[in-house]
Amino acid sequence: MLSFRKIILYTLMLISVLFSILPLIWMIVSSIKPESQIPIYPPRWIPSVITWENFLSVISKHNFGRWMLNSIIVAGIATFITIFIDAMAGYALACLYFVGRNFLFNLIVFMLLVPIPVTVIPLFLLFSQLHLLDTHIALILPTTANITGVFIMRQFFLGIPGELEDAARIDGCSPFKIWSQIVLPLSGPSLSAVATLTFVSSWNNFLWPLIAINSDNSRTLPVGIAQYMGAMSGASGSAPNYGPPLASAVMATIPALIVFFALQKYFVQGISFTGIKG
Amino acid sequence: MPVIPANLSSTKSWRKAESFAGWGFMLPYLILFILFRFGPIIEGLFFSLTRWNLIGRPTFVRFQNYTSLLKDSFFLISLRNSLYFVVLVAPALIIIGLALAILVNNPSLKGRRINRTLIFAPYAVMSTVVGVIWNWIYDKNFGILNYYLGFLRIGPIAWLTEESIAMVAVAITTLWWTVGYNMILFLAGLQEIPTELYEAALVDGAGSWNTFKKITLPLLRPTTYIVITLTLINTFQVFDQIYVMTGGGPGTSTLTLIQYMYFQAFQNYNLGYGAAIAYATFIILLALTGILQIFMKREA
Repeated sequence: MLSFRKIILYTLMLISVLFSILPLIWMIVSSIKPESQIPIYPPRWIPSVITWENFLSVISKHNFGRWMLNSIIVAGIATFITIFIDAMAGYALACLYFVGRNFLFNLIVFMLLVPIPVTVIPLFLLFSQLHLLDTHIALILPTTANITGVFIMRQFFLGIPGELEDAARIDGCSPFKIWSQIVLPLSGPSLSAVATLTFVSSWNNFLWPLIAINSDNSRTLPVGIAQYMGAMSGASGSAPNYGPPLASAVMATIPALIVFFALQKYFVQGISFTGIKG
Repeated sequence: MPVIPANLSSTKSWRKAESFAGWGFMLPYLILFILFRFGPIIEGLFFSLTRWNLIGRPTFVRFQNYTSLLKDSFFLISLRNSLYFVVLVAPALIIIGLALAILVNNPSLKGRRINRTLIFAPYAVMSTVVGVIWNWIYDKNFGILNYYLGFLRIGPIAWLTEESIAMVAVAITTLWWTVGYNMILFLAGLQEIPTELYEAALVDGAGSWNTFKKITLPLLRPTTYIVITLTLINTFQVFDQIYVMTGGGPGTSTLTLIQYMYFQAFQNYNLGYGAAIAYATFIILLALTGILQIFMKREA
């Protein structure tokens, strides 16, 4: 027998889960309906007709494939660079004694308080002087200058027993050798956490790509999809068009959700690291 | 603990090598950090003291941008709207985030793991997709929200086009999108609390509200502090979902600080003025976190 208390708890859990996933399900259900079947009352959770026309229209009329490729390239390269430099910096901040270390660490962490939008105007001018606006380099480099990744790596390295390194030191290993051959092979999970967080933040980044990218061919997904929003509200005077925006949203979301479910362990780990050990 | 070396000279040389290595390891990160994060943050302050319309050179105007801000009614509206947004959404994000964490951490409930994942899933959705989904849900004529509210004889509500309600709509969307993040942070904190404490409380016959008040909340304090700070920072600089859902409208009802910065800097090309808006945002945020810190310390 379920106790009264448990029934309430299960009900609360059910409500929370439904609130979280019904909007996503409604997006998917609506996207596979023909345009004429989308804006109708009563809403139908099971479509009477299933069609792929919205998806085909997005793929054929827009640069959708290109935007997705751009997103993958930008997020992939940014992640690759980030995990390397963060693992190095995190190791130095945790395990190597050098002059100015504490000052440097405090300075880096303090910068977390500064809203990212503060940086976009100077970045815009910097990249325009370098003639690198509207390139993927302009999207990749600012992402690599992240703070949470360094923080996570440092916290992880602080937890590695010092005896391990000391033994290697006595054997005459250089700091670089200790890092690359002893410390790094132990860091798989935290490197994965940093990789996941970096990839997601680059993948979802909106404000900076909106400013830095002009040409349709260089756009990443978030900015590309934003273009559909006008069609949805019928802003240009034509009738609202719901199908293509919903289909593009589904296509952008399904891969992200698959990756999310596969890697969520690391994702959660990364977030937890920033939370508890502060 | 560093190893105790055989003689002093080897300490010195190792120390020197280590210091050298330390800076060497920092170098790649530092270059990127200084060029693309720290540098721009400092530069932003200088730009905020100039008048600059993209063409030509910036002219130094001292604090003129800031004094103009105080008289700029759009700035004051955007400041008020940003604070309103924080008040609307931050307490909900924190309290519901904590409640969800406690719920999915309850060992007597089945399916905790999968429910955790599902509640967290919206966080993986990008802002523009969030905009598409919720613009459709909020649709005045054919949105499902108005349809179901119709059964309660409410509406139809023009969620995104009615001045008094648009910010509430954005707040609900933001809650849906990001509450899972706070849940995960709280969950990590909860799992740090030794289970023996709860067992002892149970033996002593403490009720669940007392256990929560006397054990969970005090021990969760460091996590709570981090969650409140992060939530404050993130909600005060809201941009993405507003840009895609309302564009700051209707009227100026959802015009927030960063929205206004974007408008001034990248649509009117008043770069100096935009930089001043961004810095004002930072300074206000700094003051708010400072107040928060004093408040949290006094409570402790």
